[in-house]
Amino acid sequence: MTTVAPAEQSGLADTSVPARAHVELRGVSRWYGNVVAVNNVSFTLGAGISGLLGPNGAGKTTVLHMLAGLLRPSAGDVLIGGEPAAGNPNVYRRLALVPEREAVHPFLTGREFVRMSARLQRLPDADAATARAIALVGLADAQDRKVGTYSKGMRQRIKIAGALVHDPPLLLLDEPFNGMDPRQRLQMMDLLRELAAAGRVVLISSHILEELDDLASNVLVMVAGRLAASGHFREIRRLMTDRPHTFTIRSSDDRRLATALLGDATVFGIEIAPAGLVVRTTDRGAMTRGLPRLARDAGIRLLEIRPTDESLESVFSYLVDR
Amino acid sequence: MSGPIDRTVMWLTWRQLFARRRLWLAIVFALAPLLFTLVFRVVGDDGPESRLAFFGGLDRDVVVGTLLPLAALLFGSTAFGGELDDGTLVYLLLKPVPRWKVLASKLVVAVLSTLAVVAPAVLLPWLVLGDSDVSGRTMLACLAGAAAGAAIYVAIFVALGLANRRALVIGLLYIIAFEGLLSRTVSGLRSFSVREFSLSLTKAAGAATIVSGDTVSTATVWWMGTIMLVGAVYWSFRRLVHYEVAERA
Repeated sequence: MTTVAPAEQSGLADTSVPARAHVELRGVSRWYGNVVAVNNVSFTLGAGISGLLGPNGAGKTTVLHMLAGLLRPSAGDVLIGGEPAAGNPNVYRRLALVPEREAVHPFLTGREFVRMSARLQRLPDADAATARAIALVGLADAQDRKVGTYSKGMRQRIKIAGALVHDPPLLLLDEPFNGMDPRQRLQMMDLLRELAAAGRVVLISSHILEELDDLASNVLVMVAGRLAASGHFREIRRLMTDRPHTFTIRSSDDRRLATALLGDATVFGIEIAPAGLVVRTTDRGAMTRGLPRLARDAGIRLLEIRPTDESLESVFSYLVDR
Repeated sequence: MSGPIDRTVMWLTWRQLFARRRLWLAIVFALAPLLFTLVFRVVGDDGPESRLAFFGGLDRDVVVGTLLPLAALLFGSTAFGGELDDGTLVYLLLKPVPRWKVLASKLVVAVLSTLAVVAPAVLLPWLVLGDSDVSGRTMLACLAGAAAGAAIYVAIFVALGLANRRALVIGLLYIIAFEGLLSRTVSGLRSFSVREFSLSLTKAAGAATIVSGDTVSTATVWWMGTIMLVGAVYWSFRRLVHYEVAERA
């Protein structure tokens, strides 16, 4: 496991977090029958925005649902402000989850949906809180339309308004940028920054590293149910860029090209496979720039250069295997 | 408010149960017996005895035998069914409201909705027929029997809606095969039939003129009815308290 900051203490803890929004996972696992969805994960969260990054199926949603008390951990403790989250409806006074699933009661208007949240939270002035939350997500103009007529981005925002209506210090968002166009994405990022600047603890899950760029200061990376890395966004980003890259190359003469490539200092592995040459390099940029010249000098014609490990899974699993 | 019922959950459930198409269906159910009665008055009215016989047949076969279970199925299976399907149940579960209160509120609304269909189905034909031939006591007994049946049916169908996504189809099969056929022909099964409970209570409440002949004993009704009602509610409670949102595949 890569510990940019050791995962046991995780380095994300911050003394400025209000005690009632303090989040702690201690050795948390969750399995469904024989399938382990989350495996011995521990972390705490600091103030501001943290990202929960990982490929689909890594267990991000399971972690968020355990934090929100919708799932019981099979082992370990999930504590919100020192209290277990599951089976404890009182935690919902201080935390809110914006689930990934799009559906919102289609027969309610946006305002009715948010006011329902306010009333279920027993807010003293539900109407004022509703108006405030709707203004915050910029849906005042559409608040009296049925949610069934909303676009994906609007539905995402009304869900956030419903979650924010009681002003919770802890906000969990599952893939909030899914289905948003670039403009909506920017608005959402501004909104999340605003919320974090007001002192909230915000946790956002995503399977796209770039989404968290400029947004999350801290990142938790999950791969195959385990916490693979945690630390500052820039550190994680550097690790991912500097990792070894593998290319598959087909040329007019693979054997001679292999010999020529052996002289390249950034190449540390070559394999002659039926599909072509499998070349491992530490410097992806130098490789892609230098290869055409190298081939031309040797009089070899390049037929195809294909990166073989660009799937997100391989990027993340590199962090685990390192 | 701190009672066992949450008004906001009730409000949401009303909105769910009476969403457009279901509202029309409910109105058709509630008014169908009135229509039958008007037709009867025009073409089949042969005096006081035929009116009593007509009202009896209407209550036994149309209201208790058909409309009551169908309305209870319609509302009971929808009370949670839709929200489980589309995932919107989380918006109730993520609030500081205990899950048993969510269940209690939804049960109450589903029973009241069923009564809102069944009551006019009994009351309106009675008003058309006139109280000289069918006594007010008889009509009230029919209402009481139907109300008891509504509570048990709704409890069963809410549990079914929490157990299975195809609650509507399974419930329909149960109504047709068990309530409609098996419990009427296999005498040993009568003490498990909600329709029989309802008719037995109607008779006991004073409508012996229209529910004649052999019915399940009142003691059996109380025992079995209570066991089925409490059993179904408890099962739903367990199911909801242990309900976990499954991770999207």
